[in-house]
Amino acid sequence: MEATFLLTLLITFLASFIGYELISKIPQTLHTPLMSGSNAISGITLIAAVLIYPEVGGSQILQIIVLIAIAFATLNIVGGFLVTGRILGMFKKND
Amino acid sequence: MIEIILLISAVLFIFALKLFGRPSTAHRANFFAMLAMALAVFSAFNFDFSKYDSAFYITIVVSGLLGVLISKRVQMTQMPELVGLFNGFGGGASGAIAYVELSNTSLPISDVFVAIFSMVIGMFTFSGSLIAVMKLRGKLNNFSTKLGNIFSVFLPIILIIPAALEMNTFLYEFIILVALIAGVIRVAVIGGADMPVVIAFLNSLSGIAAMSAGFIVNSIILIVAGALVGASGIILTLLMCGAMNRTLLDVLKGGFGTTTINNEYEKDPISTSPEDVAIQLSYAESVVIVPGYGMAVAQAQSTVKELTNTLKNKNIEVKFAIHPVAGRMPGHMNVLLAEVDIDYEDMFTLEDINSEFSTTDIVLVLGANDVVNPLARTDKDSPIYGMPILDVDFAKQVIVIKRSMSPGYAGIANPLFINENAKMLFADAKEGLEKIIKSFELV
Repeated sequence: MEATFLLTLLITFLASFIGYELISKIPQTLHTPLMSGSNAISGITLIAAVLIYPEVGGSQILQIIVLIAIAFATLNIVGGFLVTGRILGMFKKND
Repeated sequence: MIEIILLISAVLFIFALKLFGRPSTAHRANFFAMLAMALAVFSAFNFDFSKYDSAFYITIVVSGLLGVLISKRVQMTQMPELVGLFNGFGGGASGAIAYVELSNTSLPISDVFVAIFSMVIGMFTFSGSLIAVMKLRGKLNNFSTKLGNIFSVFLPIILIIPAALEMNTFLYEFIILVALIAGVIRVAVIGGADMPVVIAFLNSLSGIAAMSAGFIVNSIILIVAGALVGASGIILTLLMCGAMNRTLLDVLKGGFGTTTINNEYEKDPISTSPEDVAIQLSYAESVVIVPGYGMAVAQAQSTVKELTNTLKNKNIEVKFAIHPVAGRMPGHMNVLLAEVDIDYEDMFTLEDINSEFSTTDIVLVLGANDVVNPLARTDKDSPIYGMPILDVDFAKQVIVIKRSMSPGYAGIANPLFINENAKMLFADAKEGLEKIIKSFELV
């Protein structure tokens, strides 16, 4: 249990570090699509909703709360990626 | 099997970030990130799709379609609002999941702490983002509250500790309420031009909320992706703060620019006409355009493109100088210009263009103010002292298109406007440019 937690913490640290290094190199021109792209990625919390949804079957209120979370996260993923694609398409055609 | 899918997903996310580093490869980055997301979500089902009822699938399909609709309909000038809204959704989703997890009484105490943390951050992000969206739409004015400062910074943090020991649903709901109010107050006191920092900061928080939700449900991919979003938001937040020479705490404290000081001008500015601007431009060899929030408000980007074409046809070199905090979100100006097909290679950052102003014939300032205020270099008492600015006053000629002499966000006069080498064209950014373009036909 202890070791798993430490390993998870290590992964968190490494992911943050890699993210920091790579994102620091992204030019100012792409900062808006970077934000809309990270909006989409923050929708990954959908995973948590998918994991816990079958467990809350007993309570209707909790089920509705998870459904709201699912709606928010899905909107973020779909809307976020498509908008980012639209913006990046505008940069692409300039090549 | 699931582990391998997740591994591929994590690698793809990081690979996508790497590709995002250049405008020419960034569209591929988006594709890889989408693939990574699809794999990650797919893996969460663990090949058992029968566990889920129709309400679950209907919610996914309906909100997915809504996402498609929004992404097709949204105007590029509305991007700050959209990103703000999505920050709120991301935070809200993670916060809601944390609350549901807290109803599970067998949760170990360490997870209870993480869940409350995720809930507080998520709910704060949710309400704060909605307020930010209202501010961006101009529906809410600043209000300053001293009570808010103490309340919204410390209370949620203090609440986490007793709540985790007490484990009581009522208390959790109370914490949600406190976090929601804290988000509202915190963002409400911050002014519109500080929104680039606020949006980036809330973006980061939405990632941190997701990351902590990953700890509760033991999903490493959720932790990794959440951490990436958190890191991205933090980087942008610090960049924006650095571009204003202010600390994050100072920005979050709010109330900037509400005290108007030193707002008088020693003399009248030299005012000019669209015809004169057209004549001057036609004799120039190099022109630098400095766009600001005024360009976005006036929706003048296509007119800017038209002028750029006119100038380029006359073999005049045209460049764009973009200050990091121009507009209402990081990269706002770049997107508006890209929308009208202006080459990203003509867009320059502050570091890249500042040394060129002294050899530039004409600088056209378009709805920007504080980011070209030379007081940032000279006046130690000025609220913007030390802020990196575009040194447009070093150019041979500066033409400022602005509706009036009114001060910018910082609430201070801009001596650039009465500089010897500066002329004012009093007009709305779009109308002013249209008149200049028309005058070209007569030159």
